[in-house]
Amino acid sequence: MGVNSTLTPEVRTAKPTPQRRRRGVTERQRPLWLLTPGGVLMVLVILIPLVLALWISAIDLDQYTLRRWIEAPFIGLDNYVESVGSGLLHSVWISVSFAVLATVATVPIGIAAALVTQNPYRGRAIVRAVFLIPYVLPSFVVATVWRTMLQPDGIVNATLAKAGVDGGLWLSGPKSYWTLVLVEIWAAWPFIYLMALAALQSVDIEVHEASAVDGVTWWSKLRRVILPYLRGPVLLACLLATLNHINNFTLPFVLFGAPAPDDVNVMPMLVYVTSFQSLRFGLSAAMAVVSLILIAIPLFAYLRAVRLDVHEEGARR
Amino acid sequence: MTASAEAQRLLPRPLLITLTVLLCAMVLAPILYIVLASLNTDVGVAGGEFWPSTFSGESYTQIWTTADLSTGIVNSLVVCALTAVASALLGTTTAYVLVRYAFFGRLTILRGLVGLQSIPGTLMLLPVFVLFSSAGNYLGLTVIGTRWGLFVAYLTFALPFSTWVMVTYLRGMPRELEEAARTEGASTLVILWRIVFPLSLPAIVVSGIFAFLLGWNDVLFASVLTRPETQTAAVALQIFGSTQEGGALPVYSQMMAASLICAAPVVLLYLAFQRYLVGGLTAGGVK
Repeated sequence: MGVNSTLTPEVRTAKPTPQRRRRGVTERQRPLWLLTPGGVLMVLVILIPLVLALWISAIDLDQYTLRRWIEAPFIGLDNYVESVGSGLLHSVWISVSFAVLATVATVPIGIAAALVTQNPYRGRAIVRAVFLIPYVLPSFVVATVWRTMLQPDGIVNATLAKAGVDGGLWLSGPKSYWTLVLVEIWAAWPFIYLMALAALQSVDIEVHEASAVDGVTWWSKLRRVILPYLRGPVLLACLLATLNHINNFTLPFVLFGAPAPDDVNVMPMLVYVTSFQSLRFGLSAAMAVVSLILIAIPLFAYLRAVRLDVHEEGARR
Repeated sequence: MTASAEAQRLLPRPLLITLTVLLCAMVLAPILYIVLASLNTDVGVAGGEFWPSTFSGESYTQIWTTADLSTGIVNSLVVCALTAVASALLGTTTAYVLVRYAFFGRLTILRGLVGLQSIPGTLMLLPVFVLFSSAGNYLGLTVIGTRWGLFVAYLTFALPFSTWVMVTYLRGMPRELEEAARTEGASTLVILWRIVFPLSLPAIVVSGIFAFLLGWNDVLFASVLTRPETQTAAVALQIFGSTQEGGALPVYSQMMAASLICAAPVVLLYLAFQRYLVGGLTAGGVK
């Protein structure tokens, strides 16, 4: 079963049956011109900038050459070579480890939340709404409020002090890395929860009844019957979540400000500071291209796993 | 509880209650503090109070003069609403052709739509910035710092996303009505306007709302492409937050109030369209 059908269960029932599909498309009168407005705009605002980004990464573009960037000197791969010496590898490591840690930590939380809201009880709607709060709040709001709470004299340290623990500095120094991970976990786990919940809802009622007849304990039912249903969708959710963690600019930017402390200098921050504070546009474009390569790995895995197409004519091409 | 409901039970009751309480506490503890702090005074919050010694709504009135939040909110509303309308309408038209007709390159476009949502924002911002800043030089146009510039920049993310939301919706829509209309001799435009748009209105609204939220939640593009008169709510809050530290008395209560004000439109949209939006959240994985 394609993943999309588990993601949007309400659509699945309405999918065209094979008989219906066959008499669908009229090849002769395809109104492809309807693609023009959206297509032209996408080429203008997406394709051209993407190609330009590749070009910028190969030219020596800084604040002096910016006004006449077409004439900026071509320097080949020099920007890429220089970026390795400008903290690129450090940022790649920070980004990847942060993204993987955050993803791994959100999986048990998300699955637990899905399990406790699957069976109906009074007040479940409220609990479900509560679970969505961290996800619905804009990132910049989440980051602003955590930044305030984690100030040296903020509420977190005040609470810790009452318990006899010295909180210390959360927003600078080595602990800032864990601050970033923890706040990201707090904000991002509902995504796993939503995906796990959708998968749980696709478990047939017969499966539950069969396990009840067999009289298995709740734990072995969960481990052997229910969790296998979750594996595919949750793995897919992990890929997407990892991508989103790697690309998250707002959280580190608002939490720590730019330039970020060395321990949280993730890829988006490095690219941002290199281009808009150091004004080395060529160098930062090279770094941005590297971060594109970084996300390409989970992205291709995701694109392969998702069945994009339900249209049989299209699938053949 | 019926036998069938009993069979579907996943967790024993004590475990279920423990987990639910823990998870709710994890979410609600910070939220409770934010709300309480926004109802406190700046002095109270700076003194580390959790429960305000005096409740007051002052922070909600003072914030409008302390920070330039109203300009930010108006700018955000204008730019994001424009983005929402443009990408929902163009997205629907594009998605309709992508779903209903087979043509060369179709699968590539579909892949691209999904892939584009994962492109790092910094990678898109850079060339957009270079293009916009040189527009002044080569074409004599000022783009950076204008709302139009920001609108175009937001389309880079909103357009593929709205299109993808519409693709997932339209391919589940039965085509009988369209075929009947075509047999009656209706043109594609008539079908699109009279049948597809009305039937998929909920999805169009959702894709528009998502486009709106992408813009509303953005800090990256707005922090580079705006000037003080055109800055968005997100940038206003971020600047306000980063200028607080090191001052004599940080106005943290007002900051919490400002945060809640910036979150309010988003929360209201979710409350109003909860059923539709949650489905869309999992479709694209974009916040």
